[in-house]
Amino acid sequence: MFDRDIWQEIFHSIKNNKLRTFLTGFSVAWAIFILVLLLGSVNGMKNGFTGQFADDANNSIIIRTGSTSKAYAGFEADRRIQLRNDDVEYISKSFPKDVEYITPVMFKGATTRYKSETGSYSLRGVNPNYLLIDKTRLTEGRYINDNDLYKSSKVAVVGKKIVEDLYKKDSVLGSFLEINGLPYKVIGVFEEEGRDDNAERTIYAPVTTMQRIYGQTDEINQISLTYNPNFDLTQALSFSERLENLLKRRHKVDPDDQAAVRVFNYAQIFSDISNFTTGLSTMSIIVGALILLAGVVAIGNIMVFIIKERTKEIGVRKALGAEPWQIIKLVLLESIFTTVLAGFFGMLFASLILGIIGPNIDTPAFANPSVSISTVVTATIILVVAGVLAGLIPSIKAANVKPIVALSDK
Amino acid sequence: MIEIKDLHKSYKMGSNSLHVLKGINFKVDDGELVAIMGSSGSGKSTLLNILGMLDGADSGEYTLDGVPIKNLSETKAAQYRNKFLGFVFQSFNLINYKSALENVALPLYYQKVPRKERQEKAMQYLDRVGLKPWANHLPSELSGGQKQRVAIARAMAAEPKVLLADEPTGALDSKTSYEVMDLIQKINDDGNTILVVTHEEDIAHMCKRIVHLKDGVIVEDKKIEQVRAEQYV
Repeated sequence: MFDRDIWQEIFHSIKNNKLRTFLTGFSVAWAIFILVLLLGSVNGMKNGFTGQFADDANNSIIIRTGSTSKAYAGFEADRRIQLRNDDVEYISKSFPKDVEYITPVMFKGATTRYKSETGSYSLRGVNPNYLLIDKTRLTEGRYINDNDLYKSSKVAVVGKKIVEDLYKKDSVLGSFLEINGLPYKVIGVFEEEGRDDNAERTIYAPVTTMQRIYGQTDEINQISLTYNPNFDLTQALSFSERLENLLKRRHKVDPDDQAAVRVFNYAQIFSDISNFTTGLSTMSIIVGALILLAGVVAIGNIMVFIIKERTKEIGVRKALGAEPWQIIKLVLLESIFTTVLAGFFGMLFASLILGIIGPNIDTPAFANPSVSISTVVTATIILVVAGVLAGLIPSIKAANVKPIVALSDK
Repeated sequence: MIEIKDLHKSYKMGSNSLHVLKGINFKVDDGELVAIMGSSGSGKSTLLNILGMLDGADSGEYTLDGVPIKNLSETKAAQYRNKFLGFVFQSFNLINYKSALENVALPLYYQKVPRKERQEKAMQYLDRVGLKPWANHLPSELSGGQKQRVAIARAMAAEPKVLLADEPTGALDSKTSYEVMDLIQKINDDGNTILVVTHEEDIAHMCKRIVHLKDGVIVEDKKIEQVRAEQYV
């Protein structure tokens, strides 16, 4: 393989047939180019989808309720199921080993005023755990603590966008914000990792404060929790199933009722996304491989032509004592060399494009398209195999050329 | 050196079969210089191809240097050709993108002689045919006579038992033809066995023995007084 003479002959053959080699190489380079771009784009979609959920812990579960859709245990359908504070306690006590952090969540609209500026935001009553579940990052001040919760203090943690909206140059911490007509002391400012602007247009207050102000209830709208981060997907899904069954039993809901108790597991969503993108990758690999096949056929075609042209030379070589295998080697190596070189250029070009434009693309459904080393390695292996395939039939044909036929002067 | 007994060969031409060699019996000793003559269609080239293992016979025996040549695989045939035979063709058949030296070195490459030794040996044979100064020229830069001398050097480089020349002077003018024959005679003087296929009387008479073929059989086989080519050069 590292025989100087063979390479000399390959280079000579390529040098003497620049256009032919270029056209052949181009078809392979083009195929690989498309394959890498396709895979990169799929990666971009994956990054985009995943980025949508970057502001929540990957191991989080959200529980919400609605009205029953089926009659069960003596109750009629259409009964409203309401989550309450004791549901939170019940869950923590039932799954002490599975639950990591848990918090009740209460939603309200918030007509908010600071001095002469007003805005409409959403208000969430939570407990201190929410900071850890929602992956919220504080930029100033502190978050709601147990003391606030205990005292039902009127304190608020506001999103960065609210500060931009309402505050000119005033310092935010310690200021009083009027929310739905009541003054709250601002104790912290947060920002979100995700790209969702609305997430930063939220105000957090202690859940106890909100329950006291809005109706003296123990009702809540949602329970957010995170489970043991060491769970794999199967364990996570089995946990959310157990959780759902528990709550259905507690609220006397038909086990098959999908409307009354809803448990959203992010693991499920991530798993769906990854299934989806795996499907897309597979499809793009198939499409790319088919395009590559066309390139391989083109190379095979050209190689047949080359052999025809060189029939006489091959005859001479055989008369001089070249074994069939040595002829096959000569043709095969030329084919592999052309394929790999061309494919390498296609790969390089596609990676270059991805490298330049990739980091600049950042939209909700498409972000940072790129290819991994393993993709590049796989593509290279495919290339070599393709080169062998393209050269194999013509080279066997060449090896079977009868010297007497090749040498006839007619 | 060469011994053939009752050699038959026919070609299929569509539904017809063309019987080209009809029982050839023939023996060549070491150091002979034999001319095989005949008009076109007499089977002389077919005979040479079979002797050169470029083609197989239908029936009959062929022994080369004591080795029976029969039912050879492609690989085995290639090895035997490389070891036993040197070829010289009418149209030279040099590889046009290789220099004279590389052409001469090619059979040595297939003998797996190391590169350096190959180059030295090839240069030595080029020197013997008087083309050392042309070693790095491409065939396209050489005259017809020079090309044939390179081809002879190439055939000799592998040190074959038998040199087979198919119309070696067919494409050359008479002066150059005599130069090439002079070279062939000198190689024969060194003890090499050579078979020359030709249809030119004067070339045939520069050999030591003439075998006449007609319609697939040997009609005449005689030893002759060799005419030296030197005097015409």
